Amino acid sequence: MNKFMDFLERVLLPIADKLNNNRYLSALRDGFMVALPLIIFGSIFVVIANFPFLDKFLSEDAYAAYQNALGPASAATLSIMGIFVIIGIGYKLTEHYGVDAIYGGVVALAAFLILTPQVLEGVSGVIPTSSIGAEGMFLGIFTAFISAELYRFFVQKNLTIKMPAGVPGAVSRSFSALIPITLTLSVFLVIRIIFSYTPFDTVQNFIYTVIQQPLTVLGSGLPATLIAVLLIQIFWFFGLHGQIIINSVFDPIWYALNDENLQAFQAGTELPNIVTKQFIDTFLVGMGGSGMTLAVVILIFMIGKSRQLKELGKLGGPAGIFNVNEPIIFGLPIIMNPIIIIPWLIAPVVVTIITYYAMSIGLVPPPAGIIVPWTTPPILSGFLATGNAWQGAVLQMFNIIVVGIIWWPFLKVLDKNYYENEAKGE
Amino acid sequence: MKNILLACSSGMSTSLLVSKMEEAAAAQNLEVKIWAVGQDKAIADMEKADVLLIGPQMRFMKKKFETAAKDFNVPVDVIDPVAYGRVDGKAVLAKALELIG
Repeated sequence: MNKFMDFLERVLLPIADKLNNNRYLSALRDGFMVALPLIIFGSIFVVIANFPFLDKFLSEDAYAAYQNALGPASAATLSIMGIFVIIGIGYKLTEHYGVDAIYGGVVALAAFLILTPQVLEGVSGVIPTSSIGAEGMFLGIFTAFISAELYRFFVQKNLTIKMPAGVPGAVSRSFSALIPITLTLSVFLVIRIIFSYTPFDTVQNFIYTVIQQPLTVLGSGLPATLIAVLLIQIFWFFGLHGQIIINSVFDPIWYALNDENLQAFQAGTELPNIVTKQFIDTFLVGMGGSGMTLAVVILIFMIGKSRQLKELGKLGGPAGIFNVNEPIIFGLPIIMNPIIIIPWLIAPVVVTIITYYAMSIGLVPPPAGIIVPWTTPPILSGFLATGNAWQGAVLQMFNIIVVGIIWWPFLKVLDKNYYENEAKGE
Repeated sequence: MKNILLACSSGMSTSLLVSKMEEAAAAQNLEVKIWAVGQDKAIADMEKADVLLIGPQMRFMKKKFETAAKDFNVPVDVIDPVAYGRVDGKAVLAKALELIG
């Protein structure tokens, strides 16, 4: 058993290292981090605009006026999150090369806008918000990667205008960026022109139909979700941060799905997706942390006899309410614990399936596209993420019980073990 | 004054440790500044630190931090998983002070 564990550890560590230290994936992750405060701001106002029962108290006109007044908060942030992600990725990737990063951010945005159709239903001079929101997400990510690479390449090749000594730093910097930006954006202009002669018409359309749609369809399915969930659990079992490793691959898909739901939610139409960023963050991770360990904490308080577990419950309980569970993961311990691996892998799979089907048969509304911070306590987070639906909160409570039942026999064995050892030691 | 920087994925779980380490430092009458950040901010904060300790779940990032830390001459190490699980401020503080030397 130990040899096998050693072997797995030796296989997983390099994978984690590669995935995490890959410059594109880390720029992607950090780019999303840049957008996150804005996304959460927008989400808060979607929640406020859709408070439950408000439509019953207010007249139809008053309710519409209320929603219209709050609308810009999310329209300017959440609905066009692609823009902030693009700037973030362009910035972070350029920064990685030690090149003036703010230009990397704006050149990425400009390159993306060059590729974006600025016409909607025959009206020119407009940018459809859908193309700078969910639909443009993948194009935006690729554009940011390529434009930042081109920009830093031109800068590092020294294709810049040199200013004589004595010119203020800021002035010479603005000129030094001129040639690399001109070259980079020209490349994107050429790409746009080439695509206008293809049946896809725009690059946006090409990326959306050829890459984004197939990937999101795949990513929104139960099998791909279960694989992602299992991989996260396996990485954590070896004490490696599963989300940070897996999310960098899945986040673009989950966020795109999320945005599709948000658009439908705000338009009052049927929500197209079940698996979204919030499906993972609220209904799986947001249940006390990775592996849904709030149920484990509750169970410890209910059945724990050994001093070790009781101490752990006190230590890990308060943090667990806010979905921080490293004390449980390293203290129980969950890592490398052959008894615990069984509930550790089974519970998230079962909860994923329950949640998925509860939403697909309509018992619980799917996540509404509102981004609830992952530190939001469960029950509250389920309510908020489903667009203020009580069913979301009930589903989380139900799932906590399910996790508790799955864990119960295994935790009992562990507790007995600890208790006997403690008794022997005295 | 010793400056101890802790880092994990978003600075949440290491911040649990910060308060325990501060308690341990106060008990020993040590003057220390201890703070926790997410991994994306760790490199930027390195120049203000005398030592960087990372959560065991981030151990796959040790190499990356070590490379960056060379410029600042800051020692980098992974926090012992058992001490991390117990939120054992005293042990982690001792480790940090040992690394600073």
